Amino acid sequence: MITYLIRRVLAAVGVLALVALLTYWIFFALSADPAVMICGKTCSPERIDQIRATLGVDQPFMTQFFTFIGGIFAGRTYGTGANAIECAAPCLGFSFQTNQSVLEMIGDRMPVSITIAVGAAILWLLIGVSAGVLSAVKQGTWWDKAAMMVALSGISLPNYFIALVLQYVLVVELQILPFPSTPAFGDDPMFWFKSYLMPWTVLAFGYASMYARLTRTNMIDTLGENFIRTARAKGLGSGLVLGRHALRPSLTPIVTLFGMDFAGLLGGALITETVFGLNGVGKLTSDAISKNDQPVIMGVTLMAALFVIVANIIVDVLYTTLDPRVRTKVA
Amino acid sequence: MKKVEPTGPAPLLEVNDLTVSFAARAGTTTVVHGISFSVERNQTVGIVGESGSGKSMTSLAIMGLLPAKSSTTGGIKLQGEEILGASERHLRKLRGEKMAMVFQDPLSSLNPYYTVGMQIAEAYKAHRGGSMRAAKLVAADAMGRVGITDAKRRVDHYPHQFSGGMRQRIMIAMAMCCEPDLLIADEPTTALDVTVQAQILELMAQLQDESGTGMVFITHDLAVVSQVSQHVLVMNKGRVVESGSTEEIFSNPQDVYTQALLDAIPRIDDPIRALKKVDTGLVNDK
Amino acid sequence: MSMLPAGLLNEPGEVTSEPHEGPSSTRGRSSTFRRITSAMFASPAAMLSAGFIILIVLIAIAAPLLVKVSGWDPFQYDDSAINPDLGGLPIAPWGGISAEHWFGVEPQSGRDVFARIVYGARVSLTIAFSAAAITTIVGVVLGMLAGFFGGWVDQVISRVMDFLMAFPSLIFMIALLSALPAGNRPVLLVMVLCIFGWPYIARVIRGQTMSLARREFVEAAQASGASKAAIVFKEILPNLTGTIIVLVTLAIPGYIGTEAALSFLGVGVVPPTPSWGQMIAMAVPWYATDPMFFFVPGLFLFLTVLSFTVFGDHLSRAIDTGETQK
Repeated sequence: MITYLIRRVLAAVGVLALVALLTYWIFFALSADPAVMICGKTCSPERIDQIRATLGVDQPFMTQFFTFIGGIFAGRTYGTGANAIECAAPCLGFSFQTNQSVLEMIGDRMPVSITIAVGAAILWLLIGVSAGVLSAVKQGTWWDKAAMMVALSGISLPNYFIALVLQYVLVVELQILPFPSTPAFGDDPMFWFKSYLMPWTVLAFGYASMYARLTRTNMIDTLGENFIRTARAKGLGSGLVLGRHALRPSLTPIVTLFGMDFAGLLGGALITETVFGLNGVGKLTSDAISKNDQPVIMGVTLMAALFVIVANIIVDVLYTTLDPRVRTKVA
Repeated sequence: MKKVEPTGPAPLLEVNDLTVSFAARAGTTTVVHGISFSVERNQTVGIVGESGSGKSMTSLAIMGLLPAKSSTTGGIKLQGEEILGASERHLRKLRGEKMAMVFQDPLSSLNPYYTVGMQIAEAYKAHRGGSMRAAKLVAADAMGRVGITDAKRRVDHYPHQFSGGMRQRIMIAMAMCCEPDLLIADEPTTALDVTVQAQILELMAQLQDESGTGMVFITHDLAVVSQVSQHVLVMNKGRVVESGSTEEIFSNPQDVYTQALLDAIPRIDDPIRALKKVDTGLVNDK
Repeated sequence: MSMLPAGLLNEPGEVTSEPHEGPSSTRGRSSTFRRITSAMFASPAAMLSAGFIILIVLIAIAAPLLVKVSGWDPFQYDDSAINPDLGGLPIAPWGGISAEHWFGVEPQSGRDVFARIVYGARVSLTIAFSAAAITTIVGVVLGMLAGFFGGWVDQVISRVMDFLMAFPSLIFMIALLSALPAGNRPVLLVMVLCIFGWPYIARVIRGQTMSLARREFVEAAQASGASKAAIVFKEILPNLTGTIIVLVTLAIPGYIGTEAALSFLGVGVVPPTPSWGQMIAMAVPWYATDPMFFFVPGLFLFLTVLSFTVFGDHLSRAIDTGETQK
């Protein structure tokens, strides 16, 4: 188990390094000169050279990259002498737009993204999984058909479209919900809940649809297994047959999927946050991209990759405890 | 076909004119055509036939485990009580307690997510109640009785950690843990090696001697049937083509299909006959 | 769902891990084909979605002709259809729907929505179909190579697939598209979709090739001395046909959705070239005052993605049961 973990972590570090290198290459080599961007078009050539030297972009590509990586682990100093700016580890640099520390910017936005992700996850797990189980048990009934039709629509509707329709109907026309925003929970819990309800719903709808379909398929497959027949032949009631023997094999693959989906959302629900104008990491990302704010893009990409890769390891380890066949092989 | 007339006390199991059919796209398909037989305590009845001959459907019908889209007519009496068409609630009480079943493929018949001890214990607990811990002790005991060494430790192992023969022993332990009156074994040795097969057959015979359980033994293998059963039914295309004592069937087969099946068994003394194909036209039922 | 090829990412359970067809014989395959088509014809949902797909494809092909009939091309401004005093809102109700403009007009510019929908279909379908074709070829070739040869070939291909699938792909696609020089947007979109799309196809093909390579008929071909290339193309590829068709059908809606999302976020198709996602993005500031303007492209996007998904779903089921009934 320990060697397995070590191997996985080493592989993860390798993948992260590759993501970093690729991202760095695309944004620092292919993009416009950041010095010109920061200083503006009227800047003198001397001033531009000075900014370049401060940022270190006058260095060769690999030197720049290793300085960047070094900054993450050991911190780095921009410029020299009196103008030097210290950036303590883990240093992701400063935004070209606001001069704020990228790490701080991400840190400030995380609570909103986490709130959105957690709320949506609770919704989609509850609704998606129970709808899927119910559909499988009542396979072929009107309930099954209706639920699967909704689920099909759910995976086919773009969430920015649902967002606009819901906002138009619930906020503009019926006025039963406020415009989505990110108030503090402590000020007014009810207002907090109402403000987040629409983003949660929009984000959860697609995932719930997908999980409902997957749960249904898995559950139907499991119900056809021989061990279900054995359980019935033992004289177990349908509660035990479904709840104990059918549910666990059906839901184990869902756990894996959930881990990856949830981790992906911690890197920001990009579209949902952008459409509703919620200041999470996703909105930060899309703003940074539209303003070509390279250090911020670099930071959020690395962080998102880190979440997905860490989740991948956690899910695999979790899987070994959930599935005895894998557990006894790894241990 | 022999008609079973009840004389004296009711037999353990009495199947009377049982028909099983499925609703298919074009009308209905009948897979079992009016078969009748009976099983006494301490007796083993063998049902022989090829795959698709309806033998497994017969066993599932007795257990009340046929798929929902099937329909049955006729009668199945367990200790004189009609159980065909009984409520699911009532059948659930009988399954595991009065009648139990052992299936062909022990690996897929055991849930990979739970320990074998737990899976035996829940069968016991479903009928006798009590705590899971107490039921686990019964499970360990049952595993010991079917010849699993170190049963106390191995109750906490998972199905994939056992060999094929051991898994089938576990299935048998599970079926026998409530001391059922009737045991249905559906091709219990087909998936096993020949040597393991012999061990399992011996175990089943031994358990029967101890408990007096009546047994329905389903197989496509005539050699196995001659070993375990006192009475044999030969099935083909959902019908019983011949039935009688094992001795009668093997020494003097009446039906052309039975003769063909017997001819297909390789014999050391007659190598030419062993190679002769079964070509009565009855075998290929597709 | 904002992630990549929705159909592929989301439904690992939908595409069976076992190859659909047994050894290929011409007669067996043509009868399987007949059974599948008759199953498809028997399902109203499959036929409805097929009908809608055909309609959209025809619209895309005949776009220049349709625009001649409707009278407005997608780039033409119509000042008479909008009211400058109301910030350029369409004059006619329901987003300016009239005999002149069938689906209404764009606020401010007065461009004809019908013409832009029709040309948008062209752009969306061209991008999605091209990406589906390329990812299928790349995915099938690499998947078969990895599955058939195993060893280091499999190691290399599988690691690359793991890497691409562990990527925050949406962020990266946006970032890549915004960093790349403007150039030919549709071509760049196809490229980006392909880079992150092929592993989802290759993964399934790899698994099926591995199980096919162990089947008797492949072993028989190997024993009879057939070359590796012959085995791959004559024995394995024909048996993957069903799977490939299902994968393509389910990849297309994923690509349509992703292209729309990228265009919605402003890194996809650039105006004045229309695309459905971009039209929805342009409608965002107007959603309260002119809801029709975002509703029309949204409806077309939804129905197109839904039709492909429903059709792919039924096809996959028809192929599965066609096999079990053989």
